[in-house]
Amino acid sequence: MDAFFLYLAIFLPFGLGILLLFLPERTGEGAVRALGVLGFAVPLAVALFLALRFGSAPVEDGYRFLTAIDTGLSSLGIELRLGLNGISLPLFLLAGIVGFAAGLHALQSNAPRLRLYIALLLVMQAGLMGTFSSVDIFFFYFFHEFALVPTFVMIGIWGGFGRRSAAIEMTIYLTLGALLSLLGLLLLYVQSGAESFSLPALRDALAAQPLGETVASNAFALLLFGFGILVSLFPFHSWAPRGYAAAPTATAMLHAGVLKKFGLYGLIQIAYPLLPEGAGNWQGLLVWLALGNVVLLGFVTMAQRDLKQMIGYSSVMHMGYAFLGLLAFSTVGVGGAVLLLFGHGLSVALLFMLSTAVYHRTQTYDMQEMGGLIGKAPILAAFFAAATFASVGLPGFANFWGEFTIFISLWETYAWALIPAALGIIISAIYGLRAFSRIFMAEPSDALKEHWEENQVQDLQVRERVPACILLAGLLVVGFFPAVVTGPLDADLPGLQPAAAEASETILPHDATESSRLAATAPAAQEGSAVR
Amino acid sequence: MNLEAFQKIAASNLWGNLLPEIYLVALCLLLLVFEMVFRRQDLLLLFRVALWGQVLLLVLMGLSYFGGFPSGREELFGGLLVQTPLTETMRLFFLFGSLLVSYLGTRFLRARNLARTEFFAITLLVTAALMLLVQSNQFVLLFVALETVTVGFYVLVAYARTSGYSLEAGLKYLIMGALSSGLLLFGIVLLYGVAGSPDLAGAVGDPLHFPSLAQFIAAHPDNTLVLAGSLLVLSGIAFKVGAVPFQIWIPDVYQGAPTPVSAFLAVSSKAAGIIVLLTLVTGPFAALSGWTIPLISTVAVLTILYGNLTALPQRNVKRIMGLSGIAHAGYLLMGVVAAMTVDWAVGAIVFYLFTYLLASFGVFGVMALLSEGQDADQELDHYEDLAKRQPLLAAALTVGLASLAGIPPLGGFIGKLVLFIAAFQAGLYTLLAFSVVGVVLSIYYYFGWVREAVFRVWRSAEGAGSATPALPEPRSLTGLDRTALVGLSVLTLILGVAPFVLTWFLQL
Amino acid sequence: MLSLNAFLLVSGLLFAIGFFGVLLRRNTLVIFMSLELMLNAAILALVAFSRFNGIMDGNLFVFFIITVAAAEIAVGLAIIVALFRKRQTVMVEQLNSLRH
Repeated sequence: MDAFFLYLAIFLPFGLGILLLFLPERTGEGAVRALGVLGFAVPLAVALFLALRFGSAPVEDGYRFLTAIDTGLSSLGIELRLGLNGISLPLFLLAGIVGFAAGLHALQSNAPRLRLYIALLLVMQAGLMGTFSSVDIFFFYFFHEFALVPTFVMIGIWGGFGRRSAAIEMTIYLTLGALLSLLGLLLLYVQSGAESFSLPALRDALAAQPLGETVASNAFALLLFGFGILVSLFPFHSWAPRGYAAAPTATAMLHAGVLKKFGLYGLIQIAYPLLPEGAGNWQGLLVWLALGNVVLLGFVTMAQRDLKQMIGYSSVMHMGYAFLGLLAFSTVGVGGAVLLLFGHGLSVALLFMLSTAVYHRTQTYDMQEMGGLIGKAPILAAFFAAATFASVGLPGFANFWGEFTIFISLWETYAWALIPAALGIIISAIYGLRAFSRIFMAEPSDALKEHWEENQVQDLQVRERVPACILLAGLLVVGFFPAVVTGPLDADLPGLQPAAAEASETILPHDATESSRLAATAPAAQEGSAVR
Repeated sequence: MNLEAFQKIAASNLWGNLLPEIYLVALCLLLLVFEMVFRRQDLLLLFRVALWGQVLLLVLMGLSYFGGFPSGREELFGGLLVQTPLTETMRLFFLFGSLLVSYLGTRFLRARNLARTEFFAITLLVTAALMLLVQSNQFVLLFVALETVTVGFYVLVAYARTSGYSLEAGLKYLIMGALSSGLLLFGIVLLYGVAGSPDLAGAVGDPLHFPSLAQFIAAHPDNTLVLAGSLLVLSGIAFKVGAVPFQIWIPDVYQGAPTPVSAFLAVSSKAAGIIVLLTLVTGPFAALSGWTIPLISTVAVLTILYGNLTALPQRNVKRIMGLSGIAHAGYLLMGVVAAMTVDWAVGAIVFYLFTYLLASFGVFGVMALLSEGQDADQELDHYEDLAKRQPLLAAALTVGLASLAGIPPLGGFIGKLVLFIAAFQAGLYTLLAFSVVGVVLSIYYYFGWVREAVFRVWRSAEGAGSATPALPEPRSLTGLDRTALVGLSVLTLILGVAPFVLTWFLQL
Repeated sequence: MLSLNAFLLVSGLLFAIGFFGVLLRRNTLVIFMSLELMLNAAILALVAFSRFNGIMDGNLFVFFIITVAAAEIAVGLAIIVALFRKRQTVMVEQLNSLRH
């Protein structure tokens, strides 16, 4: 029965999106909005419902709510196989929350051709729900592309300045990344001899008969760089800030917030558990690339004047921390990475949304031109401050737990990397707070004053507040009760690690008061849990 | 020869198995008679007869499969022909292709006011020959069927005889086509001579027959004449496929030929070339795999790179389709190499061909509908704002191009996926790497085209008044046009989302 | 009696003349003649092989080739004549309207 809800979360938004495309021209806006709300609300409801049921659901092959449909390609081992485990659940939930918020934001925007816009967003939402609930790696990839293609179209049609070149750059980069990862997945499939794209089957086949060192290393490299391009790993990041700056808001929210996490999710769920022997060769390189994300791109972020570009760069920069979390493929590191993905997804979506709200009130993205908005829109300022704090990683927000646990895991493996990583935190605090003060505190430019004299500037409207509150609530809930995410993670993560089965002791933080206990026990527990 | 041998041959003359070809030729003759009887060249009537006649054949063939899709291998006419599930599938493929060509041709003929009957008659004849070509199991039949196809195409390419472009394309195709026929024929003759030579051990009595030739070549894989002969034969086939270095005719001919004929060349002719190549390298030349595998692999890499790199700077859409078609031939060649070691790769090739057919005809259909008569000079600029002017055409174009680029969830993606899996299983890692480079390059020009058609809708007003002369606004779409374009797009989508529609039906 | 090799030598020479004629000549009519030369080279070799190997398939094949060649010539000359009417030339280098 629960499986039915998984199908519902994927096929309802998809069906509604197709329906919207084919509705007659004269359909009222009210009907479009109602269908849109339904299409975005159902996946969220399903995600919340399944998250509640997660603990009590029976486990099968390491997955819960497992279900499968034959697609006729079963001779190649391709089946539509859905299910959730502790890693996919947080991301499934994230997709539901951000999708709902982005959908609400899009529905209240004045985009031309609203119907097509909503339809594409719904298709994207369907793809997102599908990719994070797929157990079959073919469909995992397939649904990702399903979500990706509407992104290009939306940037091309509704995008802002420079949309055409941004769309084509993004298309080529992301296609290259997707193809490389596809080759990696195919290599896994062919070499494992499992005759199946199903993850548990692949895992069993590889456990029974591991690949040779060279093959595993090559396959891992394909996956690492393929997925890495999709997550804007340094130096393959240049598409991301430009693409996000040109993308319409809801698209940027969904892509930066959720879809981009696909790459890291793939590394966590597929590459590291299946190819532990291949990972070793690349860790030394990966630590430098991840630090490139954190430090170099951190400085680049500081230099940005354009608000949207800055948020785009900061999202690229924070992905570096998630990569650092993967370095020691330990429960703590991976758990931290997933926590960070969750928190970052919410906070970056919130920032993109608020930056558009700022733009509506100042008519510019150039931060040098802004200022003094706190007097005009205090509630907006409060939300922006909260989002900035969350993004920097202050306690009380989900991001804090992610970065904190990643740092703990780093201590065990690349302790020296803690210094540049900590530098990154300072950098992100600097640019975050500087942006806040430029936008809200500084003396407004003359052009802005003129604009304000001619036009009435309102504070954040209810229709903008609702999605913002949803995102912020997600950040705060996980910030104070990380068990929402860490509970399922604790249950399933150890099972993914061939060498770390004994580290089943609960070591991820379950509530805010536990951080001291965590700090005390983590190093001890790590001895058993580190792969290398 | 004694009576018994004659009886044995006569027993294998199962004319019933050739009914589709016979039907097509009869339809062709019927059209010619019609023209004599109804002197005023009633286009609509001829068109209806040609189109519905083919639809009827499709239905009849479909009905005949209720007893089960043909399985197993059957030799007919004393080994001249061989019928397998693959050839049966390709028959359907060619029939489907000629149906679409006939439909596109009507529109073109109406706009250009040309003699009508011959276009349909030759299309039908060529289709029948294509069907025989993929079934042929003997070099005489292969040569005759191939030449029927080629000579038919000479006429079709030069069909718009009032247009200098079309005639020039026709002449170029003629020279290159006849040259490749010459190479093929000389290759056949060399093989015939050496395999029948009584001086060599294991000489065979009927050296033109594929299985006997295979026997001989397996015994003498290093003979110089065998090498020269098979190389010449493969070159002749490579011309049909458009593989490097026999690709030079493609851009010019595709550009000059009437758009329906370009589509016919791109899809059916190329598909036949690939299947014949497959038959040869897995049949008579199987023992030569020591050098055919590296040779075809190298050719495939060069073909993929040439097609994609030369398509990048193109502005003429027909040349883009021609050059990108070369790249697709490269991916298919990779499939052929894979099929030499992995059995099921044949199914992957056929699936790819079907998705290529649907997507190509979608794109060529849009091109034909947009350009009406003057189609050699279609530039990307003519596609500006298409989404605003003709949303349906823009949508069909987008689906077609996206499928050609291999973007999920369209059929082209599944086609590339199965081809890649087959190549992986065959261990063709270098080829795969170049294919990925090719696919990424292809995104650039396919996407650039879509961008031109779709994303310029809300551009600023200053951009108006471009230097390119505008094409006349196409006349409004008929119900049939809409049905055809929507049908092709929907089929492309269905093959992507539910590939089993094809795989179950064809039991690949 | 002449040996098989003598026939093959002549045939190979004819084929080479035809092949290079197609590649090097600039007049379409001459190119066309060279193409026919290639077919005739094949026919000669075919008949010689057929005679010396004692397999009659080759002689049969020749009839098909002649028929095909006739069809090719008919269509080819028609195209060349139509093109000459349109452009007043049969030289290859002047037929270049299809390059952009």
